[in-house]
Amino acid sequence: MRNRDWSEAEATSAPQTGPGREHEAALIGRIQRGERELFYELIRPYERRVFVIAFAILRNEADAQDAVQDAFLKAFKYLSQFRHESRFSTWLIQVAINEARLRQRKSHLEIMRPIENQENEDGTYTPRDFADWREIPLEVLERKEVREKLVAALGSLAQKYREVFVLRDVEHMSIEDTAQTLGISAGAVKTRLLRARLMLRDLLAPGLGGIWAGHSQVPKGTKPWS
Amino acid sequence: MVVKCEDVLREISNYFEGDLDPALKRALDDHFAQCARCRSVRDGMRNVIELYGDKSMFPLPAGFYPQLHDRLADQVEGQRGTRRAWLVSVGVTGALAASALLAAAIDRFVPRPRSEMSQPARRLPQRLVAVVDGGKMFHVPGCPFMHGKYHLVTPEEAVREGYAPCNRCMYEALRSAGNVSLDFEGEEAASNESEGK
Repeated sequence: MRNRDWSEAEATSAPQTGPGREHEAALIGRIQRGERELFYELIRPYERRVFVIAFAILRNEADAQDAVQDAFLKAFKYLSQFRHESRFSTWLIQVAINEARLRQRKSHLEIMRPIENQENEDGTYTPRDFADWREIPLEVLERKEVREKLVAALGSLAQKYREVFVLRDVEHMSIEDTAQTLGISAGAVKTRLLRARLMLRDLLAPGLGGIWAGHSQVPKGTKPWS
Repeated sequence: MVVKCEDVLREISNYFEGDLDPALKRALDDHFAQCARCRSVRDGMRNVIELYGDKSMFPLPAGFYPQLHDRLADQVEGQRGTRRAWLVSVGVTGALAASALLAAAIDRFVPRPRSEMSQPARRLPQRLVAVVDGGKMFHVPGCPFMHGKYHLVTPEEAVREGYAPCNRCMYEALRSAGNVSLDFEGEEAASNESEGK
């Protein structure tokens, strides 16, 4: 796998409970009392996560980067209003999602939303592809074109599915935290997650099930992004 | 327990979440062993979850950290700027207060000149000088421009009382004593010229 840079390597997973969370609460208290430089330490575990979520919403690296910066600035500005009623990570990601959505509305990207946005969430999704799959080694991610196809497939999902999928499957947040962050029920998270996974599987089947993985069982011309 | 393909499609996500009761999970596993289509769904979803769940899936763009930290540092710098501005304002206020105190002290120990039009004494003669009651100048005793009742005081005392030197008699007295600079003479000449003398 690719080497991660020092910042990613040093970034620890977000504290959920115990001493890590207490340390985080202490940090927030010290920042609120004026030790502003500690803000860097506070957000360090979440920098990458916030970027990925902003990118999933905006589907553009530059816009996502701007949104991330604005989100952290807002978090810094309004940290005094954080009341520890939720996890800091939940609050921070909510700030980031709001910032990305706001930026998206400003750039009128919603008129370009995928057609799935208009689908009824309650409807059952039926897979289209039933080719044999074998286990795909993670090494395929070293290939830039594979990553681009995966990103494109994710970007083609409706936003409500992208958000849930990224929080749960990319950032490994729990169902409950995902629900709290997005302000929806756990049941809705599960429903959207199921559909997102099934849709991505269908979108990627021609490539990951065959050509990219080294064997060709899928007829040409079936790639959804071609 | 026997499950159908539609049950698999409904529960497949929960299957990966580990959110099924053991009996249902066993039933799904049995179904996968017999149904290639559902196996395809399971294997494909597993790949999706594993690939997207890998950190290398979404590499951060080049320059992400420096740009982010620069932007945040700007904000922190702004806060520092505010702090600096506060310090400057405190300093300026302190300087103004000190100036006011100094002015008050000067006002207390250096009385205002009795004549605002007169130049204050820059050099003093080594002799007693005469001040006229109600006057504004100090003179060499016997100065023709001195009128009225006078009394003698030391030059320092006359200055402290706000008296200014008489341009005429005092100038002559200092010059004869060798105590007048060329500058003073130049000023005097210029003054005389301006008065048409």
